[in-house]
Amino acid sequence: MIHPGEDAAYERHVSRNTCDYHYLKVGLAFEETRPGFRLNAAHFKQLIVSALKDLHGEIGAALPFDVLKFEEETLTSILRVKSNGLVKLWSALTLLGSYQNQKCAFRVTQVSPFLLALSGNSRELVLN
Amino acid sequence: MALFADLNIVNTPDTDRKRLQSLIENAAHLGYSTVAINHVAEFQGKKQEIAKPISVTELYPSPPIVQGKSKPIKILTRLTVIVSDAAHCNDLRITSPHTRSYDIVAVLPKTEKLFHVACMTLDIDLICINVIEKQPYHFRRPSVNGAIERGIYFELAYSPAIKDSTMRRYTISNALSLMQICKGKNIIMSSAAERPLELRGPYDIANLGLLFGLTEGDAKAALSTNCRAALLHGETRKTALGVIYTVKKVSATEEKDEGTPLSKRAKTKSD
Repeated sequence: MIHPGEDAAYERHVSRNTCDYHYLKVGLAFEETRPGFRLNAAHFKQLIVSALKDLHGEIGAALPFDVLKFEEETLTSILRVKSNGLVKLWSALTLLGSYQNQKCAFRVTQVSPFLLALSGNSRELVLN
Repeated sequence: MALFADLNIVNTPDTDRKRLQSLIENAAHLGYSTVAINHVAEFQGKKQEIAKPISVTELYPSPPIVQGKSKPIKILTRLTVIVSDAAHCNDLRITSPHTRSYDIVAVLPKTEKLFHVACMTLDIDLICINVIEKQPYHFRRPSVNGAIERGIYFELAYSPAIKDSTMRRYTISNALSLMQICKGKNIIMSSAAERPLELRGPYDIANLGLLFGLTEGDAKAALSTNCRAALLHGETRKTALGVIYTVKKVSATEEKDEGTPLSKRAKTKSD
């Protein structure tokens, strides 16, 4: 905002590695469209923590991450994780194969350091 | 950028057509542009059967559309021979006209000697790394370097890692011991999926590659560029000399000349 009296100075800011967090948009897929049990946000987080523990052990399970949003109907969610824990969280999600003896799979739709970017879809740019 | 490919969709004799179709549909939805249907030949009890590959056009009159590409998925055939004895390599050579009907030929060597033979002399495209049991031998640098020089790729399958936690351990340890020798060169990662839920997206697997000790660039190449190179290697094996890609021109040359300025038109005798 330029006020009268102030001169319109041109400023250039370059920021490097300033993104503290990465955001993931993930969906959980089951063999049937509706699993026979209800899965709320707490269960969902518990599932991810156990996946982290399976792959990375106790230290992995201690990785801080947040479930920002969880939709029970579509089983989609938005996760936030510190950038240095992204690879750990993502690989744990990739290698998760079952929940309560039901086969399931995490479908990572989008990954971005900016939450705003999740509002659009980068994977299906050619839409009919 | 080369497109993503998954060179290992398992087709066992008891897999029904419907499951294979749903697997391919799922792969297309996840963003793979090329898949290869894998036929595994195991020479157990002298029952040698390198059968004809599944007819792709019969399986799919119109293949499903790849996500985000609006192009149909490309379906190939692949043969994997489990080699546990030196005699099996001979079979591979004798039946070489038979293996010709496949786009890609891979072997899974069981001993160090056979691994060396596969790397140095066998006419193949891929060497599978066993991920379901502990590697019984160490990878040796001369063999691996020979394979890299010949343009043969090493294949790591990830779906056993999803199914079982012990297999996961073997997958990671075998992968890491291979990476120590090959330094991330000539690696291909593929699914070996038998069910749709065992498939993962290409970006997920590129991230998984970081866990196996690949760099970011190598991990992505393991799904795209390297797969393409292996496919082209397979084509050179078929033609024995080289590959020539031809593009059929549909429009007549005269129509094209209309738009270009006179100075840029090809000179003809009438000018």
